[in-house]
Amino acid sequence: MTFLIQQTLIYAVPLMIVALAGVFSERSGIINLALEGIMIFGAFMGVLFVNLAQTAGWFVEAKAAGNWLALQGFEILAMLVAAAMGALFSLLLSFASINLRADQTIGGTALNLMAPALVLFFIRMIANQNTLQMATGDSASWFMIKKSTLGFEKNADLGFLGNTLLNKVYLATYLCILIFVVLSIILYKTRFGLRLRSCGENPQAADSLGINVYKMRYAGVSISGALAGMGGFVYSLTTANCTSNGDVAGFGFLALAVMIFGNWKPLNIAAASLLFGLFKCIAAAYSSLDINGDGVYMLSQIGISSHLYRMLPYIITLLVLAFTSKGSRAPKAEGIPYDKGSR
Amino acid sequence: MNEANQYVIEMLHITKEFPGIKANDDITLQLKKGEIHALLGENGAGKSTLMSVLFGLYQPEAGEIRKDGKTVQINNPNDATALHIGMVHQHFKLVEVFTVLDNIILGAEDTKLGFLQKKQARKKVEELMNKYGLLVDLDAKVEDITVGMQQRTEILKMLYRDNEILIFDEPTAVLTPQEIDELMQIMKNLAKEGKSILFISHKLNEIMEVADRVTVLRKGKYVGTVNTKDTNKQELSNMMVGRPVQLEVVKAPAQPKEVVLHVEDMCVASKLHKRNAVNNVSFDVRAGEIVCIAGIDGNGQTEFVFGLTGLEPLSGGKIELCGEDISKSSVRQRGEYMSHIPEDRHKHGLVLDFTLEQNMVLQRYQEPDFQHGGFIRFDEVRKYAEGLIEKFDVRSGQGPITVARSMSGGNQQKAIIARELDRNRPLVVAVQPTRGLDVGAIEYIHSQLVAQRDEGKAILLVSLELDEVLSLSDRILVMYEGEIVGELDPKKTTAQELGLYMAGAKRSEKGGEQA
Amino acid sequence: MSFWKKESTQKVLASLISILIGLVVGAIVVLIVGIFNKSISLKGAWEGIRLIFIGILSTGRDAKGALTWGFNPASIGNMLFRATPLVMTGLSVALAFKTGLFNIGAPGQYLMGTLATLFIALSIPSGALPGWLIWLLAFLGGILAGMLWGAIPGLVKAFLNINEVLACIMTNWIAANLVTWAFDVSKLKNMVEGTKSGYIYKTTYGLVDGTYVDGAGVATTKLGLNKIFPGSQINAGILVAILLAVGVYILISKTTLGYELKACGANRHAARYAGIHDKRNIVLSMALSGGLAAAGASLYFLSGNTEFFWSTYQSLPAAGFNGIPVALLALNNPLGVIFSAIFMAMLDVVGLQLTNLTAYNEYITNVIIAVIVYLSAFSLAIRMLISGKRKKREKRAEDKAAPPAPPEDKAAGDKAESAKGGENA
Repeated sequence: MTFLIQQTLIYAVPLMIVALAGVFSERSGIINLALEGIMIFGAFMGVLFVNLAQTAGWFVEAKAAGNWLALQGFEILAMLVAAAMGALFSLLLSFASINLRADQTIGGTALNLMAPALVLFFIRMIANQNTLQMATGDSASWFMIKKSTLGFEKNADLGFLGNTLLNKVYLATYLCILIFVVLSIILYKTRFGLRLRSCGENPQAADSLGINVYKMRYAGVSISGALAGMGGFVYSLTTANCTSNGDVAGFGFLALAVMIFGNWKPLNIAAASLLFGLFKCIAAAYSSLDINGDGVYMLSQIGISSHLYRMLPYIITLLVLAFTSKGSRAPKAEGIPYDKGSR
Repeated sequence: MNEANQYVIEMLHITKEFPGIKANDDITLQLKKGEIHALLGENGAGKSTLMSVLFGLYQPEAGEIRKDGKTVQINNPNDATALHIGMVHQHFKLVEVFTVLDNIILGAEDTKLGFLQKKQARKKVEELMNKYGLLVDLDAKVEDITVGMQQRTEILKMLYRDNEILIFDEPTAVLTPQEIDELMQIMKNLAKEGKSILFISHKLNEIMEVADRVTVLRKGKYVGTVNTKDTNKQELSNMMVGRPVQLEVVKAPAQPKEVVLHVEDMCVASKLHKRNAVNNVSFDVRAGEIVCIAGIDGNGQTEFVFGLTGLEPLSGGKIELCGEDISKSSVRQRGEYMSHIPEDRHKHGLVLDFTLEQNMVLQRYQEPDFQHGGFIRFDEVRKYAEGLIEKFDVRSGQGPITVARSMSGGNQQKAIIARELDRNRPLVVAVQPTRGLDVGAIEYIHSQLVAQRDEGKAILLVSLELDEVLSLSDRILVMYEGEIVGELDPKKTTAQELGLYMAGAKRSEKGGEQA
Repeated sequence: MSFWKKESTQKVLASLISILIGLVVGAIVVLIVGIFNKSISLKGAWEGIRLIFIGILSTGRDAKGALTWGFNPASIGNMLFRATPLVMTGLSVALAFKTGLFNIGAPGQYLMGTLATLFIALSIPSGALPGWLIWLLAFLGGILAGMLWGAIPGLVKAFLNINEVLACIMTNWIAANLVTWAFDVSKLKNMVEGTKSGYIYKTTYGLVDGTYVDGAGVATTKLGLNKIFPGSQINAGILVAILLAVGVYILISKTTLGYELKACGANRHAARYAGIHDKRNIVLSMALSGGLAAAGASLYFLSGNTEFFWSTYQSLPAAGFNGIPVALLALNNPLGVIFSAIFMAMLDVVGLQLTNLTAYNEYITNVIIAVIVYLSAFSLAIRMLISGKRKKREKRAEDKAAPPAPPEDKAAGDKAESAKGGENA
């Protein structure tokens, strides 16, 4: 059970944060089909940062001294780098769709093609293979928080909650949840959020009230890029064995599905990503999943193929879209370039 | 008081050009404090452009704007707001999924550390609502309230920003007569409190009722400014059009013959709510008469036309056309007997990215005249299109190969009318055929419809314009909330009586049952 | 109207400029990497840049290690071979665009085509039917599978108004998993060649007495093309693809069906008003698109010299996505698709040359493709740059001949138009 919850969270958190990335962009009126590409780019930049910085003197010292705070700080730093690079990369989308009024779907597709191409090109140049490791050795264990990290005995029993939430977890998971909550509040309770949402619904109205639609859309897409870039890094940290290989296995598209499934609302998105995370977790580990802790691998005994579990999120999304298409409510002005001249 | 600061706003010699057109050419407008000043002109005369210049949405190429005698520069709506200028746009600028309160504060929010502080805002809005009699439910979402309420929200938006100069752009187009009366009262109240009002309209009745002075524009040029008490409707109308206008349509009495269209207990489901959008409608249209369905926008006319032409399925009742039951027929089958001039020429009437000739055969491309074995006969299409262009005087840059999008609204409408009337069907369904057109085009279209009638066609006209209804039709059916609430004879009724029916205040028992 | 002022000329010019900018960006990346990477140096960078522009004419290195140039039949033959699936997926995307649909589902349709084609070709025992009939059945079966798969997003778009882009993305990943699943439980996995267990048999393998024998299967006829381009993988598939492109061109521009599809694409509401079955046309368009994409897969794998890596649930075939740049570059003109597909295939070959001959790798060509797609997203802006002020002046003259609609009127109409693009989802 502990394992199930932890694994579900690990899959759900990148989905959640990237789906929120989609929300910020679409609520400002720009369809961000490029989430996948931005994730790939952010993941690469984060991994590259760790890869390059690991030889720095202060870092080697901190690591040798077992200073886990420094390591966690380093993880946060890498997340920030990935976020900044994601935001930078997303400027390509903002520029094309806001200034040049390009077709946002095609622009996003271009970024989705561009990211893996660039990333693979550089990985090949740097590592002479198709995968870039975050660090030499077992880098995953650097960043993972274990009982020992927090000063407990190796075999101390922290109770169910303690075991689940404090052992073999990543700081990034909790940080992302925190960011998710904070940004959701910003979206609904602040002046910035109100104005951003108005630009995605009725930019003409926003403009007539003196709100700079271009600026708000740039802000929306940039936040979106930062979140997706960070999500990409978290993905490669927690589920991709700390590597970058020009691929996030369709996570960005899945996040898009989560966003629609969640009807562009943060709370629903959180729930939807937990559901999807559960499927991902079952698909990845169903044969060794011991839900009740009684040594019986129930799911594998049912005999349903893991292929089905992998497919389920997409099938469910399609079905949900089919049944709720009337109730689902995309931001009204999304996908429509805003032209100051024509009103 | 000296001459200079008698005016709160002066727009002097304003010129604004768009690629290929001078929307405003040396226009001067002066607004006194506390007056209601009407801006009159036809569609495309430059009224909206002039107001957009005042509101900072466009920058003029020449001319100056003065506030209280001092020259000011208005670069964007923020500047306008800072000068206390506010505007209710023709198409409301509201965010539909936001509440009324959120819409009012948007762009002028009180915040603490970036967080919204709605309490004071609510208090201020409530005070304004009481002061001017503008009651609205602040917590309702805009998409759930009536058009009249939405307009009040727009007015509150201006008042919340302490605006002194209020611009109303065609505010009555979407309102019921009762709502119009209320609006007129609100405008008078506002003026009494010292607000200065600019009222854009092309409806002479309203201008005569509420405005103190009128400035008239024609084709982008300034015609003149007059006091309403020194003028009359005919004079204003002549100023607006530039020549004496025939306010009445010339036509001989109708000579109705056999029944062409028979509608019985027709119902169409609504997409917005659970009730029927069209409910138990029954009537006949005969050959050689123009029957008009009058009503305020949104009372089921659009759904009725969709049901009649096959764009939406019926939820009950039946339609007979030339003796045949067409209730379940497809659009194309119905098209064998009816032509349809649609309400929205851009959405339904034309494929804007197609050429004119492609649009001319929109329904007919599969007829043997225009195709052979599935392949289009391009030479025949060209010949046919050229014929229609000639016959109906459709003007365009490159003739049949002009892209429809590049044509003027009037010529787009002419092209649709040419296409539909040339199909020569026993029934012509014309929905708001003159919307957004200038007087010349309106006269032309009216005369074409009368000519069709005299040829023995049955004409079903759906219109929102009272003047058009009264002058063009031989019989009037009034539609209110999806039902026919009365049948009137245009020669015996008045605009006032018609208005009562349209507002649902009056209904004749036999209305709808006859046939 | 003179040649240079023609809209079509300017469109082609815009595409060419996009290509040029894409190549230049690729060259700049190569240059920068060369400057910062000591083992490459400027000399290596210069080699890379030359290969990017004219790599198709590279014939390798001479004894002294210098690059040599000339007609390389293997490269050109391989280019045409690789262009075959790209022509088909390009046609798929272009046809859907003409109907106003963005078929980003080509990868999934391509996969379903692969699945059906390989299953049919490898399941019919050799000798049970004549080889050409097995080939034809596998080809048509692939197309049918693609049509059915393409129809799904079409159906949900037409009847439930779900954005086809999203539906396509979902069906792509469902297809990727479905195909993996089907092959996983199949007996078509090639266990013979030791390390190659991740692959499905080539179609040249035939089922003889329950075991697969190389050479007993089917493959597309080469029609002597291999004599013209010795050492390459070329076969008659490229001719089939060109034929189909001409067919699609005629369908779109000459027939009533094409008129209907275009009308639905340009204005669905007006099409309905005119009595055209918009829903049927949307489904039909997506099904045809799916069939075309799948045909690309059929032609590619029926060549007999390509193997399919079956465990594809984490990735989608690039040939599917590359249909998008092919169509965009060709401005959705089916005949143009032939040329843009060949260009893209050329980049592919150039990429291999880069990998083989220099320290660079083939992914730089994907960067170039991405840049080209990015530019084509705002080709309108580029076109305006080309025509510049002359166009404005002309427009003014035209407008005087026929006074345009007042700006507010026109803007409202435009908004109504674009609003319907966004209303679904």
